Amino acid sequence: MADNRQFKKRYILMALILVILAGGTLLLPEKYVSEELSPENLLKEINDNTRYIYPDDIAHLIISKDPNFLLIDVRDSASYQEFKLPGAINIPLKNLLDKDDAGDYKWEGFLNQDTRKNIFYSNGTVYSHQAWMLTKRLNYENNYVMKGGLNKWIETIIQVRRPEFDASEQELATYTFRKAASMFFGGGGTAASDDPVNIPAFTGKKKEKEVQEGC
Amino acid sequence: MGPLFTAADEWSYVIALVLGIAFGYILESAGFSSSRKLAGVFYGYDFVVLRVFFTAAITAAIGLFYFDYLGWLNFSEIYVNKLYVGSAIVGGMIMGLGFIIGGFCPGTSACAAAIGKVDAMIFIGGVVIGAIIFDAGYPLWGEFYESGGKGSATLYEDLGISRELLLFGFILFALFAFWATALIQKKVSNKTHKY
Repeated sequence: MADNRQFKKRYILMALILVILAGGTLLLPEKYVSEELSPENLLKEINDNTRYIYPDDIAHLIISKDPNFLLIDVRDSASYQEFKLPGAINIPLKNLLDKDDAGDYKWEGFLNQDTRKNIFYSNGTVYSHQAWMLTKRLNYENNYVMKGGLNKWIETIIQVRRPEFDASEQELATYTFRKAASMFFGGGGTAASDDPVNIPAFTGKKKEKEVQEGC
Repeated sequence: MGPLFTAADEWSYVIALVLGIAFGYILESAGFSSSRKLAGVFYGYDFVVLRVFFTAAITAAIGLFYFDYLGWLNFSEIYVNKLYVGSAIVGGMIMGLGFIIGGFCPGTSACAAAIGKVDAMIFIGGVVIGAIIFDAGYPLWGEFYESGGKGSATLYEDLGISRELLLFGFILFALFAFWATALIQKKVSNKTHKY
């Protein structure tokens, strides 16, 4: 009988500890959970080269009027006015994290969505990479970088070099495509069009935030 | 702090083996290889299985919460099984039926087979045959199996309450279940003694 009472006491004590521990969770101050990508995962993303899109592929996307991509020029406005790729919008790197009156990121609608690929470009790849890194850190998906930037664009698409005589069939096919693309884009390093580029209104659905498993 | 090991770690299989042996040993030591004990839950004369699993669940839940809060593990990286409502209900019923008929669940059957129980070995044979039938007949029930997918759903999100509140409620419910099952067990045991 005494044993039974001891047993019961132990049960009650354990039950009380459980209730106190569970009750404690209700009283704890809310823990701040960062929505940003962890440094470890960012490093993984940096080492993953799938973020690159080559100028040839971009030329193909522009020519075929593919609606599933958007070129984003991250250079300053003056450079953008001087030369831009057809259909590109301009979000200067220094304005990428601008906030609106409500305190939200102004460009989030464009940068955090799952309806199309955003391709950043600058003259080289420094600015476009910085833009990509910022969006990645914010956990935005579907942002890519134009490999080699505009320098590579000019070199491969605009100023097309004739392949050697012993070039393979694939090299010849690439040359033919580039030559045609060069004609399409005006060749000689000029902009395809000086018409002002209208920033397309964002009609897609803003990517919903992932369900936060953390508290 | 965590994870101490990841799935990609070359030691993960060794860790899994050690954990599996420890789990099996404790399961056997606690008497879970006895189908009488397991069937006792359905007949109301022994609720130790329910108490042990419920205790494990609430201890793990509280532990996970505090570990996450203190930054020792990242709760968001814990894999949550995907929920398919229809197949979860039907599968649960089939599993329950198998449990009551065979007197084992898949884990305890392996445990009982390891100590040489023939009924558990036959039970495992049944599990394998069932898996083969499920696989072979997948085109027939595959559509139903994948219907009503809710992703990695959690109860607190579906109920629209905080995780802390659900945890608190769950623990109160567990304690109530312990008390209620103790009463049922007492009643059933007294009845058994009469006859």
